[in-house]
Amino acid sequence: MIRALAVAGLAIAAPIGAAAHQLVVFASVDCEAVTVEAKFSNGRVTQQGDVRVLDGENNLLTTLQLESDGTARVALDSVDHTSGLLIEVDTGSHDNYWIVTPEDIARKCGS
Amino acid sequence: MKRRFLTASLATLIAAAPALAHYGMIIPNDPMISQQDGRSVALTMSFSHPFEMDGMILETPVSFSVTHEGATTDLLGSLQGATVMEEQGYTLDYPLERPGTYIFAMEPQPYWEPAEDAFIIHYTKTYVTAYGDDEGWDTELGLKTEVVPLTKPFGLWEHNVFQGIIKLDGEPVPYAEVEVEFFNEDLAATAPDELMITQTVKADADGVFTYAPPAAGWWGFAALNTADYTITEEGSGEEKAVELGAVIWVHFEEWTGR
Repeated sequence: MIRALAVAGLAIAAPIGAAAHQLVVFASVDCEAVTVEAKFSNGRVTQQGDVRVLDGENNLLTTLQLESDGTARVALDSVDHTSGLLIEVDTGSHDNYWIVTPEDIARKCGS
Repeated sequence: MKRRFLTASLATLIAAAPALAHYGMIIPNDPMISQQDGRSVALTMSFSHPFEMDGMILETPVSFSVTHEGATTDLLGSLQGATVMEEQGYTLDYPLERPGTYIFAMEPQPYWEPAEDAFIIHYTKTYVTAYGDDEGWDTELGLKTEVVPLTKPFGLWEHNVFQGIIKLDGEPVPYAEVEVEFFNEDLAATAPDELMITQTVKADADGVFTYAPPAAGWWGFAALNTADYTITEEGSGEEKAVELGAVIWVHFEEWTGR
C-alpha cells in the first residue's frame, strides 16, 4: 500500500492511519546515520516490524528489522541518499512511512 | 434641556454596552503539522478582539515558551516583531525536530484597561501536533492559570464539544466563567446581536466547562478570574484589580462528510 503512494519527487500524499491506534513512524538524521523510530499512537513501542529503505526513485535499497525498542539504524554511507530516502515500517497489521529529504540530510550535515 | 438629557442617557447606554472581549492569541499556520507540511510551524502572536479583527498592541511578552516531551524552552528572544491586525504583534517560525505535541505559551505584560478599572493578564497557549504523534496533548504546563484540555485540542470536527478544566494556582476553579470567541479571520461571520460576539459558559463544580462551536475555524476560550493581588496604576497611583485569563486557542476542522 505504501509504495503505491509513489515517491515521485518525494512529494506524496499524507499518510492515512488504517487502525484505531495508528503506527507513528519517524526518522532523524545525524549526518552519519538515519535512526528510524516506530511506535503506536497509544504510546506503546513497536517491538517488531520490517523496515524497508527506498530511494527517491522508489528503488529498494535495503531491508532490516526493528529492534525491540522500536528503532532501527541505517548508516548513510551504506545507501545512496542523494534523492532522499523513503523509510517504510510494516508490522504486518499496521504500516506507515517517513520521508528523509535531501534537505533533511543537508541541514544536519551543515551543507 | 430635554435633548441634553437624552444625549447624556444615550452616552450612558453606550458606555454600558458590553465591553469587547480581549484575547491574547497564539495562532499557528496549522495545528497538525504532517511531514508533508515541512519541518516547522509558523506562529502569529497578537492581542485583539478576534471576532471584530480589532487589533491592540501586544507589548513584548513577559515570557514565551514551548513545551515538548516535558521540556520547556524559552523562545522569547526568537520572536520577530510583526504587524498583526494593524497593531504590534509577533511571529515565530519554530522548527519541529521530533514528533509529538508542542505547547506554545505566552505570558503578556499586564494590560491596563481603564474601562474595566483593572489590569488584564491573559496566559495564552495553543497546542500543535507534529508528524502524526499526538502524545502530550493533555499536558498541563503549571501556569498561574490555564485551561487543561480534557478533549484533544486539535483534530476536532466542527460541532464537536471541547472540554477543559480551568485551573488557578494548580487547582480547579468551580463555576468559573469562560468567554468564547471566534477568530473571524475573513470577517465573514456576523453577529445578530453584540451578545453573540462573545459567548459565555460556566464551569461546573469541578471546574470543567464544555462548548461546541457552530463552525470550523479557530476558537478562543478565556477563563477569567480575579487575582489575589493588585497592581499599582501609574496614572492614579492606586492599587487596581487584576483579571487573570487562562486562554486556549483550539482549531475545529470542517466536516468533510455529508
